[in-house]
Amino acid sequence: MSLKKQLAEFDASRNRPPEVVAILRRGIDSTRESGAAGLRIGERAPDFTLPNQRGEMVSLHDRLSRGPVVLNFYRGVW
Amino acid sequence: MQAIRSLGADLLGISPELPDNTLTMAEKHAIPIDILSDATSEVMKKYRLWFAVPAEVKALYLEKFGLNLEKYNDAGRWELPVPATYVLDRDGIVRAGEADPDYTVRMEPSDIVAAIREITGG
Repeated sequence: MSLKKQLAEFDASRNRPPEVVAILRRGIDSTRESGAAGLRIGERAPDFTLPNQRGEMVSLHDRLSRGPVVLNFYRGVW
Repeated sequence: MQAIRSLGADLLGISPELPDNTLTMAEKHAIPIDILSDATSEVMKKYRLWFAVPAEVKALYLEKFGLNLEKYNDAGRWELPVPATYVLDRDGIVRAGEADPDYTVRMEPSDIVAAIREITGG
């Protein structure tokens, strides 16, 4: 099963009340309207240096010198 | 994740959270990927993924879900990235990716692997 299908089934299985679903849906729509659409295909990804979980500084430029990089932006561990 | 590594690509996770202070150093060393902390939101903004959590969603998180983002992100930081995945070639060019404010939609792992294969010719 695809990840998209698994996530859709999980979301449906939570059986949230309609008013909660409506608030979450409006939140998603307002974020979409804010224009936070991310990078385009073919665009150069901005460089950055950020600390990892051990406090070591990690730079995108350094990692790219070794090979392709997959970036995953996520909201948090909650 | 292993498929990504075995193709010679690196995986970096980025969240707005402060570095985790609940894990021991041994536990931190056991995490097989780099979890990066964008504690000033600068990178999320550069990547045009930043948004402020709308007031009614904030109230829902606090009152119905018992979720206080400030515990993870620091005081006053009700801000998040649009969930996104980008596959970059060695020049840093986005060769594939997806960003969707609907957090129940994510890039298929098989599409990520296919994009890396296209870059590496593997």
